[in-house]
Amino acid sequence: MLNVRKPRSTEGLVRFESVTKTYGRHPAVENLSFEIARGEVVGFLGPNGAGKTTAMRILAGYFAPTAGHVKIDGMDLFKEPQKTKRNIGYLPEVVNLYPDMRVREYLAFVSELKGVPRRDRGAHIEEKVELCGLGDVSKRLIGRLSKGYRQRVGLAQALVGDPSVLILDEPTTGLDPKQISEIRELIRHLGKTRAVILSTHILPEVSMVCNRVIMIHHGKVLASGTVRELEACLRDREAIFVTVGGADCEEPAERLLSGIRGVENVRVVERHEKEIKFCLETSQSRDLRPEVSEMFVRNAIPLLEVSRDQLTLEEIFLKLLKDGWFQGGKSG
Amino acid sequence: MKKVFAIARKEFASFFRSWTGVLTGVMFFLITGIFFVMLVLSYAKISMDPRGAGFSSFPDLSQTHYIFGSFFLNVNVILLFLVPLLTMRSFAEEKKHETLELLFTYPLSDLEIVAGKLLGLIWFFEILLVPLAGYFLVFHLLGGEVDWGPVLSGFLGFWVLGVAYLAAGVFISTLTKSSVMSAMGTFGLLVIFWMMDLAPMAGGGGWPLLISAMSPLKHFRNLTYGILDLRDLVYFGFFFFYFLFLSLRSIETRNWKNV
Repeated sequence: MLNVRKPRSTEGLVRFESVTKTYGRHPAVENLSFEIARGEVVGFLGPNGAGKTTAMRILAGYFAPTAGHVKIDGMDLFKEPQKTKRNIGYLPEVVNLYPDMRVREYLAFVSELKGVPRRDRGAHIEEKVELCGLGDVSKRLIGRLSKGYRQRVGLAQALVGDPSVLILDEPTTGLDPKQISEIRELIRHLGKTRAVILSTHILPEVSMVCNRVIMIHHGKVLASGTVRELEACLRDREAIFVTVGGADCEEPAERLLSGIRGVENVRVVERHEKEIKFCLETSQSRDLRPEVSEMFVRNAIPLLEVSRDQLTLEEIFLKLLKDGWFQGGKSG
Repeated sequence: MKKVFAIARKEFASFFRSWTGVLTGVMFFLITGIFFVMLVLSYAKISMDPRGAGFSSFPDLSQTHYIFGSFFLNVNVILLFLVPLLTMRSFAEEKKHETLELLFTYPLSDLEIVAGKLLGLIWFFEILLVPLAGYFLVFHLLGGEVDWGPVLSGFLGFWVLGVAYLAAGVFISTLTKSSVMSAMGTFGLLVIFWMMDLAPMAGGGGWPLLISAMSPLKHFRNLTYGILDLRDLVYFGFFFFYFLFLSLRSIETRNWKNV
């Protein structure tokens, strides 16, 4: 579908331009640059203390960076805060709301602060209440709500004013599995028309919800790309694990495996009484598993298991950390 | 400006959500009421024998001067306790509950936040003044002679003093996460201001006079006598905006503080 109503489509909706934030001498975020376009759900990934929350707080306009610029739709966030902050919805890591206010009353307060016109306010709040599933609790005191509901009120307040940029700091923590999947579905839905940036340390969540991942570590971008791209860049060396039965099979199995074209470095990784597990590395993009199983069947060697190493985001992340591989070929 | 009112309304309403607001109000009415009744009774007693009480003639002993002038002078001491109770929550509680974080991410300027909070507090303080007016009205209806000029300027003085103290209390509240610390700090600060007024008792010379000239009470006293001097109003204006400015600076520190 062609979208002709976007004059600034060449520029990302959110632009971080070499943003640095130091606490004392310690840089929490260092020279961080990235862009996010409308319609993208970007996962912000990193171990604790990587600078995720700091980066998100800067993006939300909570505090100014020590150096660098943040632009929302081409406008500088800290030069024109009033205008730009209208486009931002922020769900903090720990959702703190006024415990002595009622849900609807609170959302009315927020919509007033965000400048939602008075005549639209009722319908606007109603819509957010509906979207976040708050209908049953809308007249209750926030302080009496369960954590899951409070999280939803937090999400609802972020959505008030229909911001084009949503910043969600660990949106699914403290929710039960059903709520988690509901919230994820909601985020995916919201991400179609907005730029969503979401931080998490639950890695599978990223592959489920996000189009793109930005990994940060020590306040720097470690890698950035789609989940598939990140996987691909590490998949040039892939491992296949083959488990055969019986101690007497070791020697013929090893010979067979070494004979396969494109296989290098066959080694035994585990040896039990009746099972031997081999690991073979291959640089081929072709899946070798059918070939391996066919060969073992032909040679009557009991084959118990063949598996290919599925690289998960965790492994990518750990590998990136270990290799010190940075975006743009810089290495630390 | 709409946003300032939104915050002010929320701040004002928060006094009625918990018992603190109502309790503070009741205590205030009670104490001021006792003060007022005591003054009326003592006036009644003195008026029987003015000479014995040290007044040269009966006309010296005007009801307005004796009752209302002393009333406001006495009641200002209550502000030392009242204001810390009112302002202790304004920022300290938001800092403790970390609700400020969200407030800072809304399209609001820091000035709008501080001004809104102060305005809400001033509204509540004004509500507390209503029954004071009631005392005077009852006194008037019962046949007391009231010279409305000094009474109104006394009222103005009390309002101005309260608003100035509230600004100071809000500033102290921005410094800490704990309501208790905020209340104690504000009380301490107000007591210092109160004692500055007593400086000339410590000795003569220029310094004590200068210090007492900087005390809000010195300027407040003129107003309770019915003297409307522009200099006193300028002083309170300066006092108010100075603490407003300090509060703004204080919440701005989030930009560079090592949190």
